Amino acid sequence: MQPQQQLTEEQQKQLEEKIKNMSPEELQEFQKQQCIFCQIIAGKIPSKKVYEDETCITILDVNPAAKGHVLVIPKEHYAIMPQIPDTEIGHLFRIAQKMSQVILKSLQSGGTSIFVANGLAAGQRVQHFMIHIIPRKDGDQVLDLKDKVIDKELVHKVQSAVENKLNEHLGVKKEVVDVEKHKLEPVKKSSQKKKSQSEEKDTPEKDLLDTEEDEIEEAEEAEGDTSEEPKEKYGDVGLDDIANLFK
Amino acid sequence: MKCDYCEIIEMKKNLLYEDDNIVVVVRDIAVTPGQISVIPKQHFTILEQVPTEILTKCAIVANKVSMSVFESLGSHGTNIIVKNGTGAGQTIPHFSLDIIPRQENDGINTQWKSKQLMEDEMDMAFSTLKDAVDMPIITVKKLPDEGPKKIKDGEWGENYMLKSLRRLP
Repeated sequence: MQPQQQLTEEQQKQLEEKIKNMSPEELQEFQKQQCIFCQIIAGKIPSKKVYEDETCITILDVNPAAKGHVLVIPKEHYAIMPQIPDTEIGHLFRIAQKMSQVILKSLQSGGTSIFVANGLAAGQRVQHFMIHIIPRKDGDQVLDLKDKVIDKELVHKVQSAVENKLNEHLGVKKEVVDVEKHKLEPVKKSSQKKKSQSEEKDTPEKDLLDTEEDEIEEAEEAEGDTSEEPKEKYGDVGLDDIANLFK
Repeated sequence: MKCDYCEIIEMKKNLLYEDDNIVVVVRDIAVTPGQISVIPKQHFTILEQVPTEILTKCAIVANKVSMSVFESLGSHGTNIIVKNGTGAGQTIPHFSLDIIPRQENDGINTQWKSKQLMEDEMDMAFSTLKDAVDMPIITVKKLPDEGPKKIKDGEWGENYMLKSLRRLP
């Protein structure tokens, strides 16, 4: 899906030089002009549009991983997710959820993958942020990612490295993250016993983090024996069937 | 049998953040080291069961986690993935958003072979989905001061956002 012809080596060099000297604002504008998805959103390139509102559109991927693979795309040009305002992220995932539901119901798929790639190293192919919703079935070899056991030391290292940054980010935007309290009754009930601790949620409690060794081992054992689901049942599953598979 | 995530939540194992509705956890069984999950405390099996308010919060926090991963682990990229349903490889029956830190040439393959569909198959999928999307247009209220986030150069060394802009089209 390349919008342009191949550049000659000299043109390439000129372009690289030009990009190097641009300010972030100029870069953003330049990227926007080149972006094929901005042209799709503007209607200059035809697409199969399933849903549209003020903020985003949902279209069928022209190079799908499976039949019914759709993309939720913000109308504003963002290269990667960290550039997107919080309310918009919330909205995009809300639409992604609806699309997933539609796919499960109408295409009788055995599940969906919600997939976001930030950056070339993560497999991002176009420089316009999007959420992929991919209908899935067993053995389709899409996003076949293998889990492995990570060394405990490494887990703790990551924990201490990321924790401060995360709190910084969450602390600043606290008021945006807050959700409407009255709609969350059931959650509150189940977490009542933890309430006394979570009341001081602005400073996550360090002492909660030192879990005991033996507890960790127990959990690792439990991780291994995940439930075995009846796999031949995929013919006509509904939402409840999928939920029931795990029970 | 107790759900693995409910157990992690109860034991407060490798927690990064916790509040009334969600926890953020560093995973010890993961695709890459540094994988972090955002998990609602209440037990929802699949995405479709998660209330909008909680899903929205999970997504916003997942983005912050992804930003933190860029900044503190020096990752070159991140994937944010939901495995929704057994057909999608979901093994733990509790919804989560997984943030996977990525490095160039880390050997993880997130590319898929694109499926060659006939024109009429595409049309069929399109009309099926379009008919099924039976929902009102949703509008979002933006906060007054919210616009695209400004990118400052040199804020965290070679800024990862700027890097993503400098990529050749």
